[in-house]
Amino acid sequence: MSTRDAMRRLISPGSYVLFLFFLAGIWLTISPFAMTTQPSGSHWIASTINNVTIGAIMMVVSLLGILGYILFALRDMIRESEAKQADEQQASQLAE
Amino acid sequence: MNTTRPTIGKYIWGMAASLIIFLAGGWLILAPFALGYQPYGADWVSQTTNSFVTGICVAVVALISFALFFSSLLRSLRVAGVLISPTRPVTQAPAPDQVQATMPLAPVQNQSDLDKTLATLAAALAADLNARRQTGSDQQSDQTQSMVNRSETK
Repeated sequence: MSTRDAMRRLISPGSYVLFLFFLAGIWLTISPFAMTTQPSGSHWIASTINNVTIGAIMMVVSLLGILGYILFALRDMIRESEAKQADEQQASQLAE
Repeated sequence: MNTTRPTIGKYIWGMAASLIIFLAGGWLILAPFALGYQPYGADWVSQTTNSFVTGICVAVVALISFALFFSSLLRSLRVAGVLISPTRPVTQAPAPDQVQATMPLAPVQNQSDLDKTLATLAAALAADLNARRQTGSDQQSDQTQSMVNRSETK
């Protein structure tokens, strides 16, 4: 298996969309400060708390989704490789 | 073999993440009204506009992400043979005595190397069995012919 095929199996089209969610989470987290809707030096208002919380959740969930997919795909590739090696050993033993 | 065994964990993982983010997008749409920082009857404040637009984009793209992972799951199940592909050609059921002989002719796109080897071996065994059957029937017809000849001579 070439590196290109391995990368295609490790990163699905859905993973790219999850990365977009990660960027959206970053924007949600910083938006109250970037748009100056949060008064400087005062306690956080309700919209700031909401945006920061949802942004953090989106960043964490999207990262977990991407990493989880990669880990599962890596596990499948390792299992396939092990099964292929076992088949080749069995075939060589039968040939002998 | 493990190559044909469906592994759906990664797709379920991605679908679950997409679903959670879809719910987060729905909450972003509702939050200005639920938390009360959007005054009732007044023009939308900038926080409301930001939350609403971001929430709609997140919810729509989360649905697209869910559909992508779901289509990947369906493709994986089709490759594993769990689901039947809609474009797969329908073959007629062969006669019982020709089942083994026609096995290699069936579409074997998704078969592994071991399956192909087994199919070739089964076809060789079927050909050998047919050859033996033909030889046996020829001998039997020769014996019958000789018996008929003997009875005619008597």
